[in-house]
Amino acid sequence: MTNDASSNSAGLAGPLSGLRVLELADEKGQFCGKLMGDLGADVIKIEPRGGQNTRSVGPFYKDIPHPDRSLSFWHYNTSKRGITLNLESTEGRELFRRLTATADLVLETFPPGYLPALGLGYKDLASGNPGLIVCSLTPFGQTGPWRDYLTCDLAHLAAGGQMASSGYDSDDVADAPPIAPGGGNAWHIASHYAYMGIMAALFYRDASGEGQYIDASVHEACALTTEGAIAIYLSTGEVVQRHTGRHASPDNSVKIQLPTQDGGWVNVTRSGSALNPARLRRLAEWMDEHGLAQDLLDEKYQDLATVQADARHTTDVLANFFANMPQEDLWTGGQERDFPWGAIRTMDEIMGDPHLEDRGFFVEVEHPELGQSFTYPGAAAIYNGSPWAISRRAPLIGEHNEEIFCGELALSKGELTLLAESGVI
Amino acid sequence: MSLPRPLEGIRVVDFTWVRAGPWAARWLGTFGAEVIKVEWPENLDILRMNRFTVPTGVEPGPNSTGQFADTNANKRGITLNVRTPKGLEVIKQLIAISDVVIENFSSRIMQRFGLGYDVLKQIKPDIVYISMAGFGQTGRHHYYGTMGPAAQALSGLTFLSGLPGAPPAGWGWSYLDDTGGMYGAMCALTALRHRNATGKGQHVDLSQMITGITLTGSAFLDKTVNGRQARREGYPPGNRTTWPGAPVTNNYRGPTVAPHNSYRTKGGGYNDWCVIACFSNQEWKNLLKLMGPPSWADDSRFDTLNGRLEHQEEMDRGIESWTKTLEKYELADKCQAAGVRAMPVQSSEDRVEHDPQLRDRGMYTEMDHPMLGRWKFQNAPFKLSVSPPEMHRPPPMIGQHNREVMEELLGLSHDELEDGYKDGTFWPEEMPMYPYVEEALK
Repeated sequence: MTNDASSNSAGLAGPLSGLRVLELADEKGQFCGKLMGDLGADVIKIEPRGGQNTRSVGPFYKDIPHPDRSLSFWHYNTSKRGITLNLESTEGRELFRRLTATADLVLETFPPGYLPALGLGYKDLASGNPGLIVCSLTPFGQTGPWRDYLTCDLAHLAAGGQMASSGYDSDDVADAPPIAPGGGNAWHIASHYAYMGIMAALFYRDASGEGQYIDASVHEACALTTEGAIAIYLSTGEVVQRHTGRHASPDNSVKIQLPTQDGGWVNVTRSGSALNPARLRRLAEWMDEHGLAQDLLDEKYQDLATVQADARHTTDVLANFFANMPQEDLWTGGQERDFPWGAIRTMDEIMGDPHLEDRGFFVEVEHPELGQSFTYPGAAAIYNGSPWAISRRAPLIGEHNEEIFCGELALSKGELTLLAESGVI
Repeated sequence: MSLPRPLEGIRVVDFTWVRAGPWAARWLGTFGAEVIKVEWPENLDILRMNRFTVPTGVEPGPNSTGQFADTNANKRGITLNVRTPKGLEVIKQLIAISDVVIENFSSRIMQRFGLGYDVLKQIKPDIVYISMAGFGQTGRHHYYGTMGPAAQALSGLTFLSGLPGAPPAGWGWSYLDDTGGMYGAMCALTALRHRNATGKGQHVDLSQMITGITLTGSAFLDKTVNGRQARREGYPPGNRTTWPGAPVTNNYRGPTVAPHNSYRTKGGGYNDWCVIACFSNQEWKNLLKLMGPPSWADDSRFDTLNGRLEHQEEMDRGIESWTKTLEKYELADKCQAAGVRAMPVQSSEDRVEHDPQLRDRGMYTEMDHPMLGRWKFQNAPFKLSVSPPEMHRPPPMIGQHNREVMEELLGLSHDELEDGYKDGTFWPEEMPMYPYVEEALK
């Protein structure tokens, strides 16, 4: 079962419907725009002529590079309309000002000072629209000694502390470097927090009529996102050590990422897996069905002290069981017996997961330009009263120029042609 | 005069525990909502017991952990046994005058308490109810449990991290507790704003595990659109964009460039590392100039991106022979001055003590805590010019605000409050009370 994005269940609007967002964002903020667009905001992506640089990031559809075929761009720019505008031209700035007059939010990721230098800073824009909120999402914020430093995802995960916590036990990989997890998560972390700041400003605007300026920092967002590492340091002065697939900690904790018979791994999160006689019995009976319980059904394990004292032996028997069972059976079998285990799944295993299908997670999005539709990831949260939905695939370059410049700003087709020929759109 | 707070006047009943849920509610409090954390001493929030975060010289106990403190700032706290009819009645009174109920129990626990959404909306028709179960409240496996690391594994996030040919390295913390927490706050803020606009509350059914899948979009589409196999040679490519010798594919961290790696720096300590990335031939030339340029780099193989990608091993060895001569902050500063992307790998200590940017921006705010003394709390990573987020209240000691919530907010008489302590509604009958709890009753 898939969820057809165009038929928003029961015809309800998303929770942000009615919100007008102008997005001028590269990799740092395009996800934030998507979050708002998929929840019903009218997000207009304003790209430079020729398209935003994030269109040149792969992978590409069928591995043929083209600015309208970037899968990365597709994912991060759903539910947006797209126009092109050269803000460095007088006409471009004027059109942008006209658009901001009816906008609730401008989300921008230019280097600090760029928009104010063009006469398009918060104060300039708010003078014509006092309720306007402007959110600048930049690597380090608008102030400070690192303000103008150049970064990328890897640089943020280094400075933010993600790398200092992620990596390997030395017996798994000797002399391993700190590892920056993949996927572009510096931008995800930053976009999530920027979204929160924007909602707070909107909440205040709705009550007071007053807009404001938001100075959001990717670095601060990342520096905030290592769970207990800061608290451990503040409490004890200790710096965490990296471990394979589990929490970095000051100690050499027990391994929880166990290899399976079919070359996979299952993560048996410690804190949810504590054993007592009843839970050990439950596991041992399951293992016995496969002839792998060894001595764990012995009566001596009906004593809590023995279970705790023999934890190392139990772990060895468990590891042997894992080494003889396929990953899928292990994690689901564990869950059915109330052990919160999780397989290390790849996209190969996630596709078709019936639980995800039950929740309408796999969303078909039409690409009319290709005469095809593709399966996109759906919602993390089901808003029962105001549904999340992908309203359209990412815009082609300048796809909505006519709709917005002519339809909304009442330019003639002739004027549109002039703007294109003179390098404005 | 204090600055306006965006969520002034919003009341949140916070049933959350451990990390993801409390982190969500913390942000609502930081924006000025009145957050009331509901606890029961016999089912202690495990962050109140985190042995790694009790400072030296502080008496261990449920009010003494730094991890709980930072995660639960800006809240008040009550102890209430909602499993008793009397406790259930009290919580319903509180919900009736609140705007948000938020919880991260396993699915269906709230129904078992008699506090499912159908009940909540009878008590308060426009209530915003945020549930944060691992697999969500619906779907055939809604009862599956998750802690951060298992949720990350199931979501595909763990597999994105590591060196080729080695087991996945994953994430060295519960990233999905952080992200789940952000998401819980995002859902509450969004649904609250929708309620203000339409008068309608709703149940938002968040899944921690699925949150992780939404962060794998490029890999997801590479599978569904291009049919790319996830398990492939050279993937994941460590800190590089692609592994030398493996077929070149985009591996979902931005453009495919080299150099793009971690390098050891002077001192050779556990966290003496930096990262350097060159996104263009010009940035590479900038780096060469800065390095000397070294004789090993006088080689046309490194002139093009293709050549650098192919010969990464040799190039990275050369770069590291230079980075090892410089301390990591000095190295990053020199690179940045030369127009090269570079940053130090920063530990927790580095961020708190050595990061000039975080210091300049005021990342940590100190407040007085009854057990921990003067204590640093992490601020929001954004500044709002008119209604800023604010650290305004240290976390609650367990049951600290029972009297003010029960008497001042709910209008219970002092006798009723005392009765509730005797009959196990506000404190477990068999458990000795802390001195501050007894003191508050006087």
